[in-house]
Amino acid sequence: MSSKKVKAGIALVASSLAALLVSAVVTGAGGATAPVGSGKQSATKSVCGLGTGQKARGTPIKVGGLVTFEPGTDFQDIAKAAAAYFACVNDNGGIRGRPIQYKYYTTPINPVTAAAQARKLVASDKVIAIVGNTEILDCTVNHKYYRANGYYVIGSGIAPECYNGAPTMAQVNMGPAYSATGAAQALVRAGAKSLVCDTSNQGDPTGYVNLGCMAVGRQAGIPVVNSHHDVPVTDANSHALELVTRAGQDGGIVLTYIPPEALKILQGAQQQGLIDRVKWGCATPCNTDFVAAALGAPWNGKLYVNAELALLDSKGPDMTLYRAVLKKYAGKTAIGSFSQMGYTEALIATAAMLNVKGAITKQKVNRAIRDVKNFKTDILCKPWYFGVAPYHNPNNTDKTVVPLNGKMVQKEGCFDIFAYTPQLRNIRQWEKQRKLNTGSPPYPRQG
Amino acid sequence: MPDVAEVLLLGLALDDFKPFILTGLALGAVYALSATGIVVLYQATGVLNLAFGAVGALGALVSWELLNSTDVPHWVAYLACVLVGGAVTLAYGLVFGSVFAARDQLVKAIGTLGLALVLLGTMYWIWPAGTFARSLIMGTTNWGYQVDFLNARVNGTQIIAFCFAVAVTVLTALFLRFTKLGTAMRAMANDREITATLGVPVRRVEAAAWLGSGLVCGASGLLLANLVGLDAGTLTFLVISALAAALIARLRSLWVTLVAGIGIGLAEALATPIFEISRYRTMAPFVLAIAALLIFQRQRVVPVARATR
Repeated sequence: MSSKKVKAGIALVASSLAALLVSAVVTGAGGATAPVGSGKQSATKSVCGLGTGQKARGTPIKVGGLVTFEPGTDFQDIAKAAAAYFACVNDNGGIRGRPIQYKYYTTPINPVTAAAQARKLVASDKVIAIVGNTEILDCTVNHKYYRANGYYVIGSGIAPECYNGAPTMAQVNMGPAYSATGAAQALVRAGAKSLVCDTSNQGDPTGYVNLGCMAVGRQAGIPVVNSHHDVPVTDANSHALELVTRAGQDGGIVLTYIPPEALKILQGAQQQGLIDRVKWGCATPCNTDFVAAALGAPWNGKLYVNAELALLDSKGPDMTLYRAVLKKYAGKTAIGSFSQMGYTEALIATAAMLNVKGAITKQKVNRAIRDVKNFKTDILCKPWYFGVAPYHNPNNTDKTVVPLNGKMVQKEGCFDIFAYTPQLRNIRQWEKQRKLNTGSPPYPRQG
Repeated sequence: MPDVAEVLLLGLALDDFKPFILTGLALGAVYALSATGIVVLYQATGVLNLAFGAVGALGALVSWELLNSTDVPHWVAYLACVLVGGAVTLAYGLVFGSVFAARDQLVKAIGTLGLALVLLGTMYWIWPAGTFARSLIMGTTNWGYQVDFLNARVNGTQIIAFCFAVAVTVLTALFLRFTKLGTAMRAMANDREITATLGVPVRRVEAAAWLGSGLVCGASGLLLANLVGLDAGTLTFLVISALAAALIARLRSLWVTLVAGIGIGLAEALATPIFEISRYRTMAPFVLAIAALLIFQRQRVVPVARATR
């Protein structure tokens, strides 16, 4: 082979390699997109924490949570969504360079386990903050312990103590009782002639979940029925038939169950041809697209679901980032009210941590959480706050959505939940007096 | 004043119970179907299959997965549910059947409990429960008509469930009575060793029993996923109602099994409109099974006592 040919061959190979290298660089540069949650926080764009796009590599800040998990009652989506947001924060500078190390424990509905797990978080794990708690007995069993140890807990509440007796626990949701109340209000406005308020025995050990729903019925002067059933539901057809029989023609039924159980009952109703016999309502857990998709067209506009948080396909900046964060960091977690709650809790906790001046300590972080007010987010109807009060219920205004062709769409805009308790009446008074949720000045998100 | 003849219980009229008869019959029929599978397997192998519900749940979830992740026709997915039931049960029978053959019945039953727990864990691992709801609704479920005199709607799946349960019971009874394989199964129920000595291929007969029972198990899983809901835990533990029906039949009579299964379903459903006991209606299988066992125990004890006298 002549040297000319060899040189030509070498040149060809070299130029091919160079071309490949250049194209790889160009493709890489052109194809690179900004990391999820990076950028600058503004009125139209939400970011994860500082939004730097740089991984936090400092000493981890330990944050913990507790959620209920047993067959028929599973709140893990809340903690998973909180973990997803914290992971996004860690990929965007963390808390001034320190990543958040989030750990959550699951518990069955058992006061001993709930107490033990709380002590594990506080005494063994020595967490700096407690966020994402959604444990049926947590507020009842642990609120004094948290208070004694200086924690201001941001969670999603279930038990009545979460809303009327825990000074150092504030929730991003209004809980099943108030949510069922909202659903009942929607049904009464739609013309329901009676109300059957139905929930699970396991999810309502204190028997308070249906009280607001019944109060709405009594105020409207229509018959009310307090109904409880075991979960998992094992005979959905009879269950649905029983509820419809109790409600009577054109009555209303409010279901307060986790989505899989509510879906069984609703499908049982469909199988029995009972959809149009009554007006159906559901507390906020039903505000999930897979429920709408599973129900299908026969339920279009026929299930009034109370929505404590924004519509799932809302284009607001926080909701847009919520979907992106869940997709990247918690792909198997359902887009729905539960994950919205966990995400919002992590969002608020992160902002509070970023507002701590100087060293991050448990005391400073919890004081910062306590001082949160006027926290604006498009996920909630009104700005969120914590503050100093004997009890908290900052999210007491919500919406109604209905399924439409596999999606939940808005039926009614934000409305005040019927204040059937003196606590909620007091809370609304404090909100006005202390300007807790006027939105001005807005709480700084990035410190 | 209400018609006295119409007032049955706690102020409720007959009309209050009527709508629940259809749901009770359908659910009871599937309990009976499951119980038939349990009884036949027990008679042939001496194994009380506690994994019956878990295997059915696995079949139903596989069916759901096929429908949601592939383009297979619906009938293929439903058939897969039945076949998965048969395959898993047969595999267990082939592997563990002979291992446990000489052990007592408690050990055999505990072996199947192990299978149930393994399957339950596997299902929760592959298809986490979480807040995500799955549903497996056959086309027949959306078809139905109003039964005016019962003031209720009956759907296609409920009709299929009832007819299928009765058909399986009849065919199984005929099969056990008139076929060679059936006779061999009945012989094994009496004495496995003697049956083997007589030249019956006991391993093959047992395999047939495992397979047949598994196919029934898959079919039950499919029907229950429609009538009750697609949830691994719920379907796994519905075996309790089927076991109660099998116990009432003393693990012998298929006809009593059928009646007992339907009776349990009806008892559960008819307790629904009685507000005072409605929330305890899931106890119906236990209560009926315990009552039956007490009665049978008494029948067995009394003759012995008489003989002793």
